[in-house]
Amino acid sequence: MLKAENTLFTIVMLLYFAAMVGYFLFIAVKKDPVSRLAIALQALGLILHTAALILRGIGAGRMPLTNQYEFATSFAWGLSLVSLIFVLRFRFPVLGAFAAPVTFLVIGYAAMQSKEVRELMPALRSNWLGFHVSTAIIAYGSFGVSFVLSIIFLLRDKMRDHGFLDTHIPTAEKLDLISYRSVSLGLLFLTFTIVTGAIWAERAWGSYWSWDPKETWSLVTWIVYAIYLHLRIRRGWRGKSAAVFAVLGFICVMFTYIGVNTWLPGVHSYA
Amino acid sequence: MSKAKKIWRFLSSMQFAIALLVLLAAACALSSLVTQGQSYTWYAARYSERMAAIILALQLDDAYHSWWFLLLNSFLVLNLILCNGKSLPGLLKQYREMGELPAQRPGVEREGITEPEAVFRAMGMPHPRRGVSAEGKEVLYAHRNRVGIWGAWVCHLGILLLILGFSLGQMTKEEYVVYGVPGQLRRVGDTNLVVGIDDFRVELREDDTVEQYTAEITVYDLTREGDPGESAGISVNHPATLHGMRFYQNSTGWAARVQITKAGEPLQDTVLCAGEYLPVEDMPQLVVYFNAFYPDYVLIKGQGPATQSGKLNNPGYLYSVYYQGEILGMNVLTGEDTLTIDDYEVVFSEPQSYTLIQAKRDNYTWLALAGGLVTTLGLILAFYLQPRRLWAIREGERWRLCGLSRKGGVLFAEELDVAIKSTEKGELPHAES
Repeated sequence: MLKAENTLFTIVMLLYFAAMVGYFLFIAVKKDPVSRLAIALQALGLILHTAALILRGIGAGRMPLTNQYEFATSFAWGLSLVSLIFVLRFRFPVLGAFAAPVTFLVIGYAAMQSKEVRELMPALRSNWLGFHVSTAIIAYGSFGVSFVLSIIFLLRDKMRDHGFLDTHIPTAEKLDLISYRSVSLGLLFLTFTIVTGAIWAERAWGSYWSWDPKETWSLVTWIVYAIYLHLRIRRGWRGKSAAVFAVLGFICVMFTYIGVNTWLPGVHSYA
Repeated sequence: MSKAKKIWRFLSSMQFAIALLVLLAAACALSSLVTQGQSYTWYAARYSERMAAIILALQLDDAYHSWWFLLLNSFLVLNLILCNGKSLPGLLKQYREMGELPAQRPGVEREGITEPEAVFRAMGMPHPRRGVSAEGKEVLYAHRNRVGIWGAWVCHLGILLLILGFSLGQMTKEEYVVYGVPGQLRRVGDTNLVVGIDDFRVELREDDTVEQYTAEITVYDLTREGDPGESAGISVNHPATLHGMRFYQNSTGWAARVQITKAGEPLQDTVLCAGEYLPVEDMPQLVVYFNAFYPDYVLIKGQGPATQSGKLNNPGYLYSVYYQGEILGMNVLTGEDTLTIDDYEVVFSEPQSYTLIQAKRDNYTWLALAGGLVTTLGLILAFYLQPRRLWAIREGERWRLCGLSRKGGVLFAEELDVAIKSTEKGELPHAES
């Protein structure tokens, strides 16, 4: 089962790479059918990625969400899922060209981690694990997409003379709104993550909040995005300012994910 | 404007809320970089003496309980209360007005509509009401997701409940640790409760990793005469509430039977957990300290005592002996080794696992949890039930369609165009927005 998962994982990496090349090609040759091919490759990659995660879950006899490799590959899955939904929902294939490299980077990071299946320590043997980590994956995926959208927004002015991109990138107002929707989705799921994590921590460690570095940085990330939402209302921070803030938010997300595990170990050290 | 009014306005302003959020995020981030709860010596060794002095002066060693962190949170609570209080009348008015004939400027307008009811249906508002505008024109109007108006308000309320529940919990909670081996009775701190450890099992997998730690306990209330006790099994992730106190299987360690004889006569026979002291009964200034236990003891050159595995292949007991607070010696006993101190002989044997149980009473956990759930509900309302209004004004044979969605913007206009296109036989009427 795990051998099959390994093979599928390699195929998924290749498909995501092919999708990325497809999206780049779409921008280069300016042909819509190429974008449809890239979307199809990404969708196929996502289906096989889902299958790979299921196989790993069956092989390991548990939810595949407990170590660096499993979380990284799931994070890539979340990014791919959310970006594909946004590409299709807003008919915005150029987003794929920016999201695919990020997805590929994250799955590449997963490939560098140990794939060994280890038995779970007692604290991780809980039904809350699935809720807690899967909501984190959607949250991170959504923030990743908002980051990509913000980068597109910030580069938009430089692409203005590029006729093809000009017509294939939504208006500034729409781009800003899509990014806002992505942040909204991320913030909602980050709230789910924090709440489910607190409930689980209460059962496992006897304290629903203990200022563990991962908890603290999840809160910092939550506050940063809350500031983003308030600034949009209060100061009319839309467009460029909001985009810069969304990039800052994603830096917090990445620090919470990788930085905390590397520099600030706590009870989440296994994550 | 009076000074008091100015202060009131500032304290309830979003500007102040943003400043507080920035400060809170910065405070949390900074505090997470400083290891909490250490001494001056520790910080001086880790950083420098000057840095250690700064850390202690700013209370960064216990940042989350420091006066400035509490102050920030108090201001946030005040701001949330004032903000919610201030916005309540306006929100009630808005909520009421959404059900009435629209009078405000639309965010989007489309003219030349022939089948407005169909557009209303396509926009998820199948039963528009009829009315007459101030100009005497026939109007169809409807709204959707009116409850979404309350999103931010409910979210703020949730955060308030969360902070309140957390703060009350911090102020009133009782927390104790008890540990022992099966057969022992242990008092829970200074409470009237006693925990009887009936059994403790460490369930191992084939590869010797731990699957679960399970303790069977009975809790007795000393104030109740003849209390038969309340029993439960507790394991990691499965706490139990007994006599109003919540018990968690927290940790484990090694214990051993310690027998002390004096001139060959039995003097003491007890179970000692690693990390515990045992004063000699008839000479209390002589103390035996059980430092650590190595189930598969090995002495590694340059590193000291260690264990090769978790199996009880070669038990090793690291002990220290103190006399009047001064250390007399420290060593490891293995096998049948005996520690001899003048007339006294100390024997360690029968190693076994002890359970460490956390006992806790926090009467406000439910409030914090409710706060978290209400916050989540508020976000769902704010993000996914965005209030929108649609009204159509008859202009001769055709209708002018007006829409308003505070957060939908251009996406709402697009959605409306799609709805019009699907109902107006593929023709998009003249658009104006």
